[in-house]
Amino acid sequence: MFSYDMFNTLMDSISSFLSHGANIILFMIVLPLIWGIIGWLLKKNYLLQLAVVVLSSTINILFALSLYLSKGFYVTFPFASSGLDIAFNIYKFSALFLMFIAIGFFLVTLYGTAFLRNEKHAGIFLLYMYISLAILNGAILSDNLGVMLFFWEGLLCTLFGMLVTNNEQKPRAAVKALVLSGTADLLLMLGIIITVYRAGTPFISQMGKLSITGVSTVGFMCMMLGAIGKAGCMPFHSWIPVAAGDAPVPFMVAFPGAIEKLLGIYLAVRIVIDIYDFRSGSISSIVIMVIGTLTIIFAVAMALIQKDMKRLLSYHAISQVGYMVLGIGTALPIGIIGGLFHMLNNAIYKSCLFMTAGSIEKQTGTTDLKKVGGLGKRMPITMICFMISGFAIAGLPPFNGFFSKELIFDAALESHLIFYLGALLGAFMTAVSFLKMGRAAFSGPLKFPENSPGKLASGKNGFHESNISVRESDIGMLLPMVIMAFLSIIFGIINTLPLDKLLGSALGYNKTYSGWPHSMLLVVVSFIILGLALLDHIYGYRKTGSAINAADHIHYAPLLKNIYNAAEKQWFDPYNHLMYVVNGFSTFCTLVERSISWVYDYGAVKIVEGAGNLLHRLNNGSLSRYLFAAVAGVAGIVVIFLVVLL
Amino acid sequence: MRVIDYITVSFLVVPIIIILINNLLSKHIAKRISFYLVGAAAVLQIAASVADFFLLPYYKLHEYKFTLLWNIDNPDSEYFAVNSLSLVILFCIGFVTFISVLIAKHTIDRKKVSYVNLLMTLIFGMNGMLIVTDLFSLYVFLEIVGISSFVLIALFKSETGLEGSFKYLVMSSLASIFVLTGLAFVFMHVGSLQYENISKYILSGHGSSRLYLMYAGMILLIAGFATKSGAVPFHSWLPDAHQSADTAISVLLSGIVIKVAGVYGLIILSRLFDGIPAVNLTLLVMGTVSIIVGALLALKQDHFKRIVAYSSVSQVGYMLLGVGAGGTLGLLGAVTHIFNHATFKCTLFSNAAALHEQTGTLDINDMGGLHEKMPVTGFSSVTAFLSTAGIPPFSGFWSKLLIVMALWMNDFKVFAGIALFSSIFTASYFLRLQKKVFFGKVPNKYEYVKEIGGSIKYAEIFLTIIMIAVGLAFPLALLYLKGRGIL
Repeated sequence: MFSYDMFNTLMDSISSFLSHGANIILFMIVLPLIWGIIGWLLKKNYLLQLAVVVLSSTINILFALSLYLSKGFYVTFPFASSGLDIAFNIYKFSALFLMFIAIGFFLVTLYGTAFLRNEKHAGIFLLYMYISLAILNGAILSDNLGVMLFFWEGLLCTLFGMLVTNNEQKPRAAVKALVLSGTADLLLMLGIIITVYRAGTPFISQMGKLSITGVSTVGFMCMMLGAIGKAGCMPFHSWIPVAAGDAPVPFMVAFPGAIEKLLGIYLAVRIVIDIYDFRSGSISSIVIMVIGTLTIIFAVAMALIQKDMKRLLSYHAISQVGYMVLGIGTALPIGIIGGLFHMLNNAIYKSCLFMTAGSIEKQTGTTDLKKVGGLGKRMPITMICFMISGFAIAGLPPFNGFFSKELIFDAALESHLIFYLGALLGAFMTAVSFLKMGRAAFSGPLKFPENSPGKLASGKNGFHESNISVRESDIGMLLPMVIMAFLSIIFGIINTLPLDKLLGSALGYNKTYSGWPHSMLLVVVSFIILGLALLDHIYGYRKTGSAINAADHIHYAPLLKNIYNAAEKQWFDPYNHLMYVVNGFSTFCTLVERSISWVYDYGAVKIVEGAGNLLHRLNNGSLSRYLFAAVAGVAGIVVIFLVVLL
Repeated sequence: MRVIDYITVSFLVVPIIIILINNLLSKHIAKRISFYLVGAAAVLQIAASVADFFLLPYYKLHEYKFTLLWNIDNPDSEYFAVNSLSLVILFCIGFVTFISVLIAKHTIDRKKVSYVNLLMTLIFGMNGMLIVTDLFSLYVFLEIVGISSFVLIALFKSETGLEGSFKYLVMSSLASIFVLTGLAFVFMHVGSLQYENISKYILSGHGSSRLYLMYAGMILLIAGFATKSGAVPFHSWLPDAHQSADTAISVLLSGIVIKVAGVYGLIILSRLFDGIPAVNLTLLVMGTVSIIVGALLALKQDHFKRIVAYSSVSQVGYMLLGVGAGGTLGLLGAVTHIFNHATFKCTLFSNAAALHEQTGTLDINDMGGLHEKMPVTGFSSVTAFLSTAGIPPFSGFWSKLLIVMALWMNDFKVFAGIALFSSIFTASYFLRLQKKVFFGKVPNKYEYVKEIGGSIKYAEIFLTIIMIAVGLAFPLALLYLKGRGIL
């Protein structure tokens, strides 16, 4: 029989196998690449792709699990010079993230494969996903900041690649994502350079804790901005809503939903606990918290007025990062663990929400809330998953989002009241927007566009008008959704498992943060906020008569209306301002380049031509002139001799 | 007698024997075998120089001294000598002669016997210059080289040939006057023209005192040899002479004669007058001016061979820079550049011969797109261009690198910078040439032009392989020289 001991022995042997030689590189980084190439070559073969995904993910989860259960080890691979050694540090925290990634990757890729069933991009999607997996594994394992940066930048490539494959003619989102993420990465690179210079070593495990003073402040802020920028925090966010319009849902599930947050928050936590001596109440802490709070409020305010599911969710993807950044920025253990827990929860429910949006898109061909409605009867499982995730994101007990938000509220209140109020405002608007979206999509009379692809999906029993219907998605898409929703509940009810068993022990915290929030006051305030959100929704619904317009009274409120108008004209989009600067700079460079070109194209040519013509005219074939030149040459030599000798 | 004795003597004996055979045979037979005779002489020379080069370390000799015909009993009068430097140049002579014959097979069909006689005289003169050990003998052989060159240029009695030859004759006479007067001045002070005696005289410190006639002698000698090498401002004869001669003869003149008659003379002078900064500075200034002026003039020409001739002026400048830099490295750079320049100049003149044979013209404005029609010629020409411009990994890169390194290490950093910078000029005039001849659109009249066949094609292939192979294997050659203690 299979027993726990056998399982332990298996895990031990796998982890000791991985710790030998270059096995860890081969199996955690090279192997995913090979899987990806296999998946790519399979192109449209759905069943084989499914098999590849299940098999490879199982293996990957086993590896990650064995690393998590092992005592941890440190391997180095000498490379060119000593500063470039590839060093992998496997310990509780990094192995825990490997495990999250392995599980998340499995669900996301499974969903994506099912979503892209028989579509043109199915193969290339798998390839990019597996490359991303290899990169993520490498980035998480790296102890050398330079090597980590290498992997980190690699993720930018797959991000760009995925956005481009879907929209090759006009890769608007891809360019925007590249510019903004690239800027964040540039900041990270700068920060890493400063940090390595200050620490005198590129290896995180040897750095100790650098104090944040002088140049180090710049290094810390640059690294932190790079990390949270990757996670999608303001001001590096504005590509996500654009991508929501252009990219397929599996991309949204994978990148803004899960992968980028995992990696970004992982690094942010590493920075504040391992690299820098980050203290509560310091200037840098306040700056980070302000960034977090602003992100929460502005992004969720934008989410409130969206009428498209994917766009709405993408703004929430930004706003939720704000909570994590706020939590980590408090520099309090409760805030850091709250931020991490929120990241984990967000990856679960946000993926699930994007997946439900994807299911609806697959069936009706659109995610525009004006065109769909009443889908709850046709897609009950999807609706239940949406509700669970929606409750979780709104912060309703006993779902996971409630507990992580309470931790962050606690930390924010301990720092300053203003941050707490900001976070509460965010929570209010989150609840309002999800009430609106859920009611608009699932309740009321059934409605969907005439040309829904559901028609085709049901077409296998012959093509009949009566078959035009929207129905539940197939198992490959439902399964990840259900697992995610289930995890939302599990992580809420048994929150000691993620909080104490996984995160707390990995961070080395002795105190327990699990269980019901200890401050009853905070819970009461949260409930009041949720109640207010419900009242607001009912007021809006009564006023306009439809769920979709339930938030219009906020949208068109005096003063707010003007701000929203400005936001919709993209006045607040940092990308546009960045582009003004970039365009100005490029105009300047063009001028400089033109003038240099002029020197090469005209100036230098004219000089050379003039000299050539002059010499050419002097050599006119007259012997007397040649003899004169020779004598002049002798005179020249005489002059040189005289100059040297005298 | 040892093996090396026989081999070394052959440098002087073989040309004389070939002349004898060529003239003793009946005209009819001589016409048929004359090219083979030259080819045999070239191969023998190549073999002899290579064998000697490797025999020198075998006999543990730095310099092999020998005599010929007279004063055999007197051990003090060993007035011939070969060393690694002269052996490399002797090898180049054999090499260029061989290429010249390959081209001559296509281009020369009358006066073959005279061509062979004169060619052998020329080689005899050049070999003699390289193995003598006193300045006066050097001068005598220099005159042999000069006179045979005049006649070779004018051999076919074309109008331009006669004009070019006449200009060369006038300028050479001037050079002879310079050299002879210079020798007289030096002799007045030293009392001997033996290299050893002059070196001793300079080293003993007399050189630094104010002996104006001695300096005047140096100036005149430098001017004389500079005229022969075609350095600016003594270059005026060179383009006319090289352009108007038959291509088989241009190869010789541009490929080796200017280097033996001019650059080698300057190498000897720089070694004799070692430690006199004015000599080095003169060579450096002359070299720099040659590089730039030669390149600028090449940029304005429209005749294929004239561009290549001006390119010789420019490349001689590099050799002068190497010589002027002084030290073993500079000398090595100069000698390597002599060899490399011989290869790519041979290639370019082979291209010229091929183009002239196939299209009937050498005006580059008339041509275009010939790369498609003549792939071997085009490829070898581009290789030669890249090598001349000093693009790694072709052979020319290494010699230029050595020269620039030598300049830098001997604290002539300004000249090193100029040498590097003026590579752009080399690239520019050759790019213009390549673009106009081999790229672009093929004119209608050359629609049916074909690749050249026979010996010129083989010469082009052979030279291209050498340029690439030398470029790739040059680090090994440097290692070998280091092993022999030369570097």
